[in-house]
Amino acid sequence: MIWLSWRQFRAQALVAAFALILLAGCLVVLGRQIRGGDYSGAELREQFQGRVYLLDAVLLLTPALIGLFWGAPLAARELETGTHRLVWNQSITRRRWLTVKLLLTGLAAVITGALVSALLTWAAGPLDRFTGDRFSTIFFGTRNLAPVAYGVFALVLGAVAGLLIRRTVPAMAVTLVVLVMTQALIPNVIRPHLMAPERLSVPITAEVVRNLSFLGQHPEISGLKMPGAWVINTSELRTADGSRVSDDTYGVCVAGSLDKAPDCLAALNLHVDVDYQPVSRYWTFQWLESVLYLSLALLLAAVGLWRIQGAAH
Amino acid sequence: MVGMSSVLKAAGLTKRYGKHLALTDCDLDVPAGRVTGLVGPNGAGKSTLLQLACGLIEPTAGALEVLGNRPGATAAHLARVGFVAQDTPVYSSLTVEEHLRLGARLNPRWDAALARRRVERSGLRPGQKAGRLSGGQRAQLALTLAVAKRPELLIFDEPAAALDPLARDAFLRDLVESVTELGASAVLSSHLLGDVERVCDHLVVLAGGRVRVAGDVDTLVTGADSLESLVLAYLKEAVR
Repeated sequence: MIWLSWRQFRAQALVAAFALILLAGCLVVLGRQIRGGDYSGAELREQFQGRVYLLDAVLLLTPALIGLFWGAPLAARELETGTHRLVWNQSITRRRWLTVKLLLTGLAAVITGALVSALLTWAAGPLDRFTGDRFSTIFFGTRNLAPVAYGVFALVLGAVAGLLIRRTVPAMAVTLVVLVMTQALIPNVIRPHLMAPERLSVPITAEVVRNLSFLGQHPEISGLKMPGAWVINTSELRTADGSRVSDDTYGVCVAGSLDKAPDCLAALNLHVDVDYQPVSRYWTFQWLESVLYLSLALLLAAVGLWRIQGAAH
Repeated sequence: MVGMSSVLKAAGLTKRYGKHLALTDCDLDVPAGRVTGLVGPNGAGKSTLLQLACGLIEPTAGALEVLGNRPGATAAHLARVGFVAQDTPVYSSLTVEEHLRLGARLNPRWDAALARRRVERSGLRPGQKAGRLSGGQRAQLALTLAVAKRPELLIFDEPAAALDPLARDAFLRDLVESVTELGASAVLSSHLLGDVERVCDHLVVLAGGRVRVAGDVDTLVTGADSLESLVLAYLKEAVR
């Protein structure tokens, strides 16, 4: 069965290997250039940020490609061409047939994901250390472990969609939609709560106010940054006793000249309570999210193995 | 086979696709050591019965035993049944040689010599892609795969329906030879009564998802003008 799986996967694997070599070449060149000059952080950002974003996009796209072109046709193409009636009548159970196919293609997905992720993590390293934005959607999902888990999940998703829908192109469409949904949902809804956030009271100094991105009519602020950490929620402006500062008191400070607002607000002795994930949790989060995606993949594989007995018609 | 009285035994077998009943409450006992013809008009439930028999699909209700077991449940049981599906599917991007390799890898009782002999005799070139074979050649390749796993029961679903008369003639001859060589039982469906009369010694007439008659061809034909008039009589009765 390993031989047949490999023989059927060979063409797709060759295309992928060719693309991987090209991508790896780009990443190695980038990594050497980033390390080539004695760049300051700002220079790194100016020179390389654009290209790193582009490669981030390629890495975000990789799981989708794996799901669409390796996963979706895996069973659907057999069902479309009728060859399932040939192969499922050899002396091998369908469950074993699917298991071997998923394991072999899954191994290829792991190797692909690990290779591109490791190379990008290395290449963009100096820039990432300067940016320090490790938890943001793009950086978190394109460095270290997470891309490997995404790839495995996308593969199993595509394969099971193909098995249940029985047609390759609709299975590809469903795979893409579900992948986009999970990639939108998990970073925003699930990831912040993988661990209970820490809470910190941050005093509102003139310096803090100057760095804010937005000062509104109401005493609520956004854009508060903490180095390396992931700010999940910022409370309204609070007075020393923890109650919300009145709109009037706040309004006086922001009504006048914007130059005076920082000092005026600082004089009120205000603070905000910030819920955040500290930078020290980065690897815990990488593992947690990988385990989450791999568990989803296992669950989907179980559904596929369960439903394959009824999949012939 | 000594000690085995029937290859296929159905009791109350029913298969439903949504609202459509493909098979209704079928009782059937197909004896071992025979070539059984399954005849009936299109949509009679022939394909459904054969796909149930090889375990490709599962019954909605009732029981079905093939060679004394639930069909297709284990690898060991799959090894005992060879199935040639309708339109004889093969992998178009794999060569003839690779199909034999597939058979050898996936079947513990694979008879490589038999497979090679059959491929040579059918004039199939080992390096040829299966997608470029003619209908007759493709059917021969599918037959080879089913036969070389040395099953005890061979099931054919309209194997010769799409072939021209010459290819059909050659295919049916090979089919009978293979069954004899293996000492296997066989069940084949067809809507071509001539084919059935030529190769089968046992007959099951299926119409409207029900078994209309089953028995040895010799016994059934006694008292009738011909097999054809006999089957037509049963089918006309089913329509009424």
